[in-house]
Amino acid sequence: MAKVLEGPGMGLLRKWGISTPNYVVVTSNDEFDQLSQVNDWLQKSKLVVKAHEALGSRFKLGLVKVGLDLAAAKAAVREMLGKKLETITISQVIVSEAVDHKEEYYASAKSVRDGVDLMVATCGGIEVESNWDKVKHLSLEIGDTPTDSALSSLVKDAGFSGDTAAKMAEFLKKLFTCFDNEDAQYVEVNPVVLSGKGELVALDAVTLLDGDAKFRHKDWTFPFAAEFGRAYTKNEEEVMAVDAKVKGSVKLIEIPGGNIAMLPAGGGASVYYSDAVVARGGKLANYAEYSGDPPDWAVEVLTEKVCSLPGIKHIIVGGAIANFTDVKKTFGGIISAFRKAKAEGKLQGVKIWVRRGGPNELQGLAAMRALQDEGFDIQVFDRKTPLTDIVDMAMATK
Amino acid sequence: MSILATKDTHVVIQGGLAGVNAARRMAEFRYMIKQPLNVSAFVYPPDAGKTNEIICGTGLVMVPIYKTVQEATANHLEINTSLVYIGADRAYAGTMEALNDPHIKTVSMITEGVPEKDAKLLGKHARKLGKIFNGPSSIGVVSAGECRLGVIGGAFDNLVACKLYRPGSFGVITKSGGLSNEIIWICSQFADGITTAIGIGGDAYPGTDYVSYLEMFENDPQTKAVVIVGEMGGDLEERAAEWYGAKKRRIKLLAVVSGFCQESLPKGMKFGHAGAKEGLKGEGSARAKSEALKKAGAIVPDTFGALGPAIKATHEELLKTGQVKPIPELAPAEVPKLPKTVQESMKDGEVLVTPLIKSTICDDRGDEPLYHGYPASELINSGYDIPHIIGLLWDNRLVSKQEAEIIKRIIMLSADHGPCVSGALTTIIAACAGIGLSQAVAAGMIMIGPRFGGAVTDAGRWFKYAIDNKLSVEDFLAYMKNNVGPVPGIGHRVKSLRNPDKRVKELVGYMKSLNIPTPHLDFALEVEKVTAAKKDNLILNVDGTMAAVLVDIGFPVDSLNGFFVLARTIGMIGHWTDQKRQGSRLIRLFDYLVNYASPKRREVPPLK
Repeated sequence: MAKVLEGPGMGLLRKWGISTPNYVVVTSNDEFDQLSQVNDWLQKSKLVVKAHEALGSRFKLGLVKVGLDLAAAKAAVREMLGKKLETITISQVIVSEAVDHKEEYYASAKSVRDGVDLMVATCGGIEVESNWDKVKHLSLEIGDTPTDSALSSLVKDAGFSGDTAAKMAEFLKKLFTCFDNEDAQYVEVNPVVLSGKGELVALDAVTLLDGDAKFRHKDWTFPFAAEFGRAYTKNEEEVMAVDAKVKGSVKLIEIPGGNIAMLPAGGGASVYYSDAVVARGGKLANYAEYSGDPPDWAVEVLTEKVCSLPGIKHIIVGGAIANFTDVKKTFGGIISAFRKAKAEGKLQGVKIWVRRGGPNELQGLAAMRALQDEGFDIQVFDRKTPLTDIVDMAMATK
Repeated sequence: MSILATKDTHVVIQGGLAGVNAARRMAEFRYMIKQPLNVSAFVYPPDAGKTNEIICGTGLVMVPIYKTVQEATANHLEINTSLVYIGADRAYAGTMEALNDPHIKTVSMITEGVPEKDAKLLGKHARKLGKIFNGPSSIGVVSAGECRLGVIGGAFDNLVACKLYRPGSFGVITKSGGLSNEIIWICSQFADGITTAIGIGGDAYPGTDYVSYLEMFENDPQTKAVVIVGEMGGDLEERAAEWYGAKKRRIKLLAVVSGFCQESLPKGMKFGHAGAKEGLKGEGSARAKSEALKKAGAIVPDTFGALGPAIKATHEELLKTGQVKPIPELAPAEVPKLPKTVQESMKDGEVLVTPLIKSTICDDRGDEPLYHGYPASELINSGYDIPHIIGLLWDNRLVSKQEAEIIKRIIMLSADHGPCVSGALTTIIAACAGIGLSQAVAAGMIMIGPRFGGAVTDAGRWFKYAIDNKLSVEDFLAYMKNNVGPVPGIGHRVKSLRNPDKRVKELVGYMKSLNIPTPHLDFALEVEKVTAAKKDNLILNVDGTMAAVLVDIGFPVDSLNGFFVLARTIGMIGHWTDQKRQGSRLIRLFDYLVNYASPKRREVPPLK
């Protein structure tokens, strides 16, 4: 799943014939000055300025300003650009044209098991949150397209009537076409507004695309954004860059404030390890995972990042019995990074716990065990020790 | 009995290298259960018409490669299953091809990163045709004692450790590849092992879900209980719970679900597989899934670690009620073993191998070559030079500083002798004909022989013969005249007493300046005095001088031509690159340089 920011998300809607307000994404004050000289609407209309970053609760953070004239918009742009918020600096803002409207509606399309769910409601904006029962669904099997009559009864069922019903049916048809052709997993337009000109306009777009389909969308030139309400950290971005290059996978998410560092193998086992830490009252410092027999250097990079997490007490090098990931080779990468970290004085007071099985497990585990002779505080277990017992042991030590 | 992958399963593998690797793993499994390979064909258009060699036990099986699935099934009527190892961008088309083939009933897709829409369309198509589409991102399927599809189960030792050579009583369904293997291991240690284990793949919408396979397990009398390993997101576990709770089921169901950590994570943060995503309104949480499964009557341990004891308890109950019987363990000698490779047997001291060749100069088995025992990098860093490497590799010894200087001068003096000599000319002709460096230089090399540059060894041999036998110059010349012929190393095509070879003068002068004994060089110069007196150009030539000097510093006679070959290689490479740089065109001899001495044109007589 890959989240797309508002600007490129609106771009995709426009591509498939859905009206959006005029908007520009700007990265500097100078750029905005120049844009305002060539775009009439920036001079004439009321404007909305929003931080264009992967941030949750932009309203609360004061990063959305509405009803501005150009001068006020310029001031808002100046204020937002370069502003620092915890891990990120705002580097882009989106300035869009305010659209006069009376009514706000809701429309979305969502990938479900058998196909696509189209959803629509007569209440939009924040109102929809408390009126979820008013949202009406049309379930479409994969490969099918919505018929005009199905759309027409959907919007009527949702409470639209007359001219607006016809317009909303047309809007949903376009939304579905966009969703289907762009390999989207979720597109939410909230609100859809009826403008003074009597036209349905998408004021905001939440867009999740299927990152796996990127190979057939050469026009997806925009970067994907983090999905969890904050931007990626430098370490996360570096691991993602490695992940994109190698066979197999390496993944990292940092969780500030935790003290149990995770370095488990496998997309499935890694979550059981995280569960075990939380179940024993521990605080995760990160999520990590490597799988699919990645090269040793990729695991080494991941390990370096994990070793440099601040304030960690334990590192959990867990893993199930691998099918084809070479334990000796991947452990080789981990060991190199451990040595480097130790030489830099990073692993002082950190206990390392290892449990693993799979191809070349004997050699891999022996190499880990040998780290005891180099002064590492490391405990090594094989397949006979149940998967998450090392977490129990780690959490039992003080 | 088992499901999905059985003793009647015959496979076509779609894909390249990863597919071949899977076939090798599948062959190991078949060897373990003493059955022939069940991979009948590959489909991989770039290699169509060729075969892949698959090691089966101690033999090799040639498995044909076809361009299309249809060709494969037409030639191998037994094929009923396809494994897809095609890249994500082409996997859809390849899988459709397999699903549409009437012979194929099951398609398992190993490919990862397949677009969700493609996977859904494939699932729908398979259901319409009444076929099974497993995956994407499936680690494979294994039925103990019968069949393995893909690399599930890992290395051979693990297959044996997990007792996959004979069926047990537990079915396994997981999304995670690594955990499938873990559960297979747990079932073999805490109970009597598995019937079939299925990796359904970690994507959001697997082609076939828990329910379909639970239904199949329910109808397989050998399977008494099923373990499912679930994860947060989606509703697959809820559907499984619904199925299990809908009516009295024969099989027992054990389940664990991951994702409890979600509750204490920052909002929106998600871990794990692509499929592990939260629903819009928080449905699909690990807790909700666990509750649903428990309510339906499944055994749901609180942690993954508690799964082993739960499986054990289930097995003991099955034993008590007589639904399963204890399976006697194999005696150690009966446990299947993979044949050892020659290297493994040698390491274990089981076989004696007579080496084919013996090498005394260089050992490359470590992280860098050892030149007669010395690591190359250490020689470099200790100030040694190319002549020392020559000494080590040609004569098994470290030459002295002085000897190294002599060798260096010999090479420098004979590195090239212009474009007209046989070797350089041949290299140039070859270069102009568009021939590559190594071949063109080799063509020049071929010219080195008795008349050009190749007399060093012979010269050294006969000067050494004279010294070893204490012959006088007269006796030596008489011996040579009677037994050998012209003295090698004496005589030059263009140089003479009046037009001496500066290279010879240089080398002789340097040797004399060193004040070391040079018996062979001294003797050669004495020979020259006599021969040159007879004929002006019977001088000691560069071959002869090099030969005498090299024998003086102890190089073996047979290595001596090597010094000329080595030195002149430098020149020939130079001539080749020189022609290349100029973009020289094809050249040919002018006909006025040929004496056409063949008969004039005449009539061809009738053929008799």
